Amino acid sequence: MIDELNGFNKAFESKARLGIMSILMANESADFTTLKSLLGLTDGNLAGHTRNLEELGFIQSEKRFIGRKPNTTFSITEAGRSAFTAHIAALETFLKNNS
Amino acid sequence: MFSKSRQPYNTSRFQIDEANIVKNFTTSLAYLKNIFLLCSVKYFLKDMNKNDVLENLRDIKQMMEKSSRFQAINGVSIIIVGIYACIASAVACYLIGGADWLPFLPKNDQILHLNTPTRIRWAVILAAGLFLLSFFTVTAMAHAKAKRHQLRFEVDKRLLQMIFNFLLPLGVGAVLCTALILQGHYGLTSSVMLLFYGLALVNCQHYTYPSLRFLGYGEILLGIIDCFSIHHALLFWFLGFGVLHILFGILYTLKYDRKK
Repeated sequence: MIDELNGFNKAFESKARLGIMSILMANESADFTTLKSLLGLTDGNLAGHTRNLEELGFIQSEKRFIGRKPNTTFSITEAGRSAFTAHIAALETFLKNNS
Repeated sequence: MFSKSRQPYNTSRFQIDEANIVKNFTTSLAYLKNIFLLCSVKYFLKDMNKNDVLENLRDIKQMMEKSSRFQAINGVSIIIVGIYACIASAVACYLIGGADWLPFLPKNDQILHLNTPTRIRWAVILAAGLFLLSFFTVTAMAHAKAKRHQLRFEVDKRLLQMIFNFLLPLGVGAVLCTALILQGHYGLTSSVMLLFYGLALVNCQHYTYPSLRFLGYGEILLGIIDCFSIHHALLFWFLGFGVLHILFGILYTLKYDRKK
């Protein structure tokens, strides 16, 4: 049982991170407020998760100003895309082996 | 977990001793019971994990759909648009064919009637009004549905892209229609409307429920048939914008709106 779980990526264990990654997989990019409203997270919580994912090199952010308001958009990197695909593949093989 | 529970039952206690045979029997029964419990716990854990993984995958899929597709379009609003179109085609029939209420018979004087400038002006105003009314209805009902089901309804990049992708073919079609009317080719206007509306629907399938494209295919098919048939323009317009909308709206409501 434990061997099968090894393929799962520890970075995607929390629901919020999984959500961030799936949103960025499906969309070209998403800004901070969109992510926040979709996932129902607080500012600080989302900022922590995105910072962690960014440090792992799975997503990248771009900061700019719209008028005077700061606006951060996130997009997925190549590494993040392959890691997420591998994670989903691991989930699916786990399901296949245990059904 | 396993080794811990096995330790109290070391083998010495299982050696058959005539004096303790009843006691041994009960301990071995307890041992078997423990094994059974352990096995069931293990299966239960495995099952839990499987459910977790399934839920995980479902969450991922749902989040991808929710973030990339506009899900707030209301099936009932499609039916209402179809009813608008039915009424409008009856009014157009009155405008073009005079007071004659036999709408779908080929009549030569329809063309004559349409040639008078006032009738054209009223027909164009009717079409534009119908478009605006339909657009307003769909938007308002989508807003209500989004509020009811806590769906996303924000004017963000994605929604603007969808509206742009919908309006681009429609705008080109409208320009072409205007050109056709100005040059007197009235016969082709309904098929141009159907064709470009169908293309607009197919064009925005990636931004909303993908089954919307089937309505688009239906419109395109009707438009193509309309291209080659003469004198039945209003009939095809009625079928495409009225009947097809109502039918698709009913199917759409059954498929997407009922289960929520």
